[in-house]
Amino acid sequence: MSDDRELRKGSAEVLILALLEQRDRHGYEIAKLIDQRSGGTLKFHVASLYPTLYRLERRGLIQGRWVEKPGTRRRRFYRITAEGQKTLDAQRRSWSAFFAALNRVARIRHA
Amino acid sequence: MPDWKSLVRARIGRLPVDPARESDIVDELAQHVSDHHKDLVASGLADEEAIATALAPLAERAALEIARADRPRPVAPVPPANRAGIFTDVARDIRYAARMLARAPGFASIAIVTLALGIGANSAIFSVVNAVLLRPLPYADPDRLVMIGQRARDGAAGNVGYTTFLDWRDRARAFETMALLRSWQPTLIGRGEPERIAAMRVSWNFFRLLGVAPAIGRDFRSDEDAPASSRVVMLSDGIWHRRFGADPSIVGRVLTMNDQPYTVVGVMPASFEPLISEHFYQRADMWSPVGYDRSLPYACRSCQHLKAIGRVSRSVTLEAARADMDRVQTTLRRQFPSEYAPGVMTIVPLQEELTGRVRPILRVLTGAVVCVLLIACANVANLLLARMARREHDLALRAALGAGRGRLIRQLLIESGLLAGLGGGLGILLAIVALPLLARLAPTAVSRLAAAHVDARVLGFSAILTLATALAFGLLPALRASRTALDRSLHVDGRKTARAPTSIARRLLVTADIALAVVLLIGAGLMIKSVGRLLGVDPGFDPSHVLTMQISLVGKAYAEDAAVIVKTDEMIARLRALPGVEAAAMAGQIPLGDNGDMWGFHVQGRIAGPDDPSVERYSVTPDYFSAMRIPLRRGRLFTSADRAGAQEVLVVSDETARALWPHENPIGQHVRIGDATKGPWRTVVGIVGGVRHQALAAPPTMQMYLPQAQVTDSFLTVVIRSSVDPTSLAADARRAIWTVAGDVPVYNVRTLADLVARSAAPRTFVMILLEVFGGIALLMTAIGVYGVISYSVAERTREIGIRAALGATSRDIVRLIVGSGVPVVSAGLCAGLLAAFVTAGYLEASLYGVRAHDPATFGTSAVVLFVVSLTAQAVPIARALRIAPTDALRQE
Repeated sequence: MSDDRELRKGSAEVLILALLEQRDRHGYEIAKLIDQRSGGTLKFHVASLYPTLYRLERRGLIQGRWVEKPGTRRRRFYRITAEGQKTLDAQRRSWSAFFAALNRVARIRHA
Repeated sequence: MPDWKSLVRARIGRLPVDPARESDIVDELAQHVSDHHKDLVASGLADEEAIATALAPLAERAALEIARADRPRPVAPVPPANRAGIFTDVARDIRYAARMLARAPGFASIAIVTLALGIGANSAIFSVVNAVLLRPLPYADPDRLVMIGQRARDGAAGNVGYTTFLDWRDRARAFETMALLRSWQPTLIGRGEPERIAAMRVSWNFFRLLGVAPAIGRDFRSDEDAPASSRVVMLSDGIWHRRFGADPSIVGRVLTMNDQPYTVVGVMPASFEPLISEHFYQRADMWSPVGYDRSLPYACRSCQHLKAIGRVSRSVTLEAARADMDRVQTTLRRQFPSEYAPGVMTIVPLQEELTGRVRPILRVLTGAVVCVLLIACANVANLLLARMARREHDLALRAALGAGRGRLIRQLLIESGLLAGLGGGLGILLAIVALPLLARLAPTAVSRLAAAHVDARVLGFSAILTLATALAFGLLPALRASRTALDRSLHVDGRKTARAPTSIARRLLVTADIALAVVLLIGAGLMIKSVGRLLGVDPGFDPSHVLTMQISLVGKAYAEDAAVIVKTDEMIARLRALPGVEAAAMAGQIPLGDNGDMWGFHVQGRIAGPDDPSVERYSVTPDYFSAMRIPLRRGRLFTSADRAGAQEVLVVSDETARALWPHENPIGQHVRIGDATKGPWRTVVGIVGGVRHQALAAPPTMQMYLPQAQVTDSFLTVVIRSSVDPTSLAADARRAIWTVAGDVPVYNVRTLADLVARSAAPRTFVMILLEVFGGIALLMTAIGVYGVISYSVAERTREIGIRAALGATSRDIVRLIVGSGVPVVSAGLCAGLLAAFVTAGYLEASLYGVRAHDPATFGTSAVVLFVVSLTAQAVPIARALRIAPTDALRQE
């Protein structure tokens, strides 16, 4: 159980950074995309997502800003920073290496 | 559309971040939940279910994680030995504590007022203790000053005759110096009304012995302490200002007193406190040398009307001084066996002599205020515990953000300190306001009480008390809450872990409240009963509607008794003629007038010399008995025919008759008074009821009355019985006296009822203070019980609701609530009764006519407290009865 949680926590950052690499998104959109694209395997709810977002923001990897559109409530959009991009690249490399190793040892196929 | 923001807030509580940021976070979370809800509804979920599902992840735990993630920087440990850091930290804690208190004004004000009452009462009583007991006497090396005399019945040093004193002074080795003193009331005539001056005759070295010196002029010289040259006076600063307008050229001025010229030699400084005269006689305004020599008739060895004070030599102990005096006295007794009764000498330190009477009173009051403070502490600790339970969330957050246990305890103690500090400050103000009231209430016997004020020592005491108080009421809640907070930050379900012990702690505190209140109530009850019994004592006369005033007829004009009689007869006639006056009389002394005049009483046929009894003597004019309403038992009273030259007569009190003629008729018996060997034989003509002479509480003594015309006193008390308010007569009466003799001072104008009240004053003082403290204790206890019971009702809302839903009647619910309070109340009552039983002995000295363990008082106090604590539960019970099952469910 707790292994699972740690794993998710570690992967959460790379998931969020990857989604923001494409464009700026707000929190609910991020959660929804992770849910959809993982086919429901990975789920972030409000209480686990925002601590991660705030932690990333605090470390300067993403940056949040309020956007107000007429007729809707204001939303907070997050954008990846240059520092965030660097981290994402590094993480991608290490995750790749990790999965390659896993595959070699445990024959887990990496998509 | 639900109000998402409120829903989110309700779930996560307050976040420990700055308000703007918090609002952003709530906004963002609300937006998320709202989006999620919309999607859930779109996917076919029912609205309510969708709301619940969207909100579900937002547990309190979420707030912790969010706040932790959002913190700009991880908590850096305070650099060690960085004092500025600790200072700013503490300053921040204080600001935070102030904000927390400002946010709970109800709690804060109750706590502060409670503490103010506790600390204020202690500061006030400590000011008194400080002024009366702790402040050293205002003389040089006061520890070496002692009163010397043969041991009297009450343990005090008795009086001494002049010749005896000279032998003491010459033969004792343990003393640096000794001096004599006696009271003196000269009449000062000059500008203004004739005035009777409270004064003292003292040995020439009296001021030197005390280590004080005049501010103006010079001290007495040794050659002035002789019969021919003693007409010199020292003035007090007070009379110098009042009577002589602070005339700087006063030294050398000749005053006329008792028709004799007295030269002023000096003025004492304003700082000089005449404590010795105040204690033994009256606060003196003048001093003059004793001026005796051995040849004078009243300078004999057994003419014991002087008091001796001594300064023990350095490095001589009290025991050594006592042994030295015993040795001297033993030798004297061997030399002059007929002059001295056997008995040990006593050396009483002056401080002890001056304060001995008030010590038991102050001990009782100190005990009482300590009780009040303990109750205050218990109450505030109780309030804090209740508040901590409500603040668990906040504390858990702080713990989660890295505040260690020590840090949390510090924060909470700073909050307690702030409360105590505010309470202490207010308490000192209370003490400053209360002290003058206290001084006005205090019996005059408590010397130096009027000087009680809040000085540096009192402030220091209050500050330490405040700190101790903060620890006393703050430590338990802080320890408990900090542990709870850490528990809660580690376990999501920390909710129930510390509830039960907190509840027990709160109940124990209320138990202590009740126990202490019982002790105070019993004390107050015993005093109320004592004062009631005391004022119920029949003094032997009727004090209502009687005005008394003192006059003295001294000087050349009154040298002959006949002159005194002529004048006083005329005064009485004039007083009698005043409208509203029913009877007017004069007496050498009256009961409860702070006088004593015991004369030897020698019955013809059985004279035993020194072993004959001493009897209180009153020289009175014929109407004295009707003015005082002293009843005649047998025989007759005096008439105007009992004049000088007529048959010498006397009237005795029934106590005297019973003691001296138990089996005979006293009427017609012959008695010699004073000297057993000479003087006329006087015939007993009547028996009257006895009076309480010294004090209401003192048992009746033997008394005799002589016609003022036959044994004439010059210092007289005028007694006027009126049909109107006696105080309204004072001005007319004074005028009537001055019409007859303009040179007679009139002083101590008081009603007889005042004298009676004054006799009960020390006990009344203790009673009023214990009533006040008991009242405060009762109120605080009621608040304490109310707090605990209403908290327990709030805590058990769900349980009560379910019981109500399951059909419990109102009576069941009342029984449930009261049932939970009964063990607390009864444990408190038992503990209190026990504590009172153990401590009541301290009150013994102040009681009259009631035993310290009076069962009625114990019972009544317990019942009063029981009723009060039941009443205090009424509001929470009413609240419990209004709980509907739905409330209970909604609460979850």
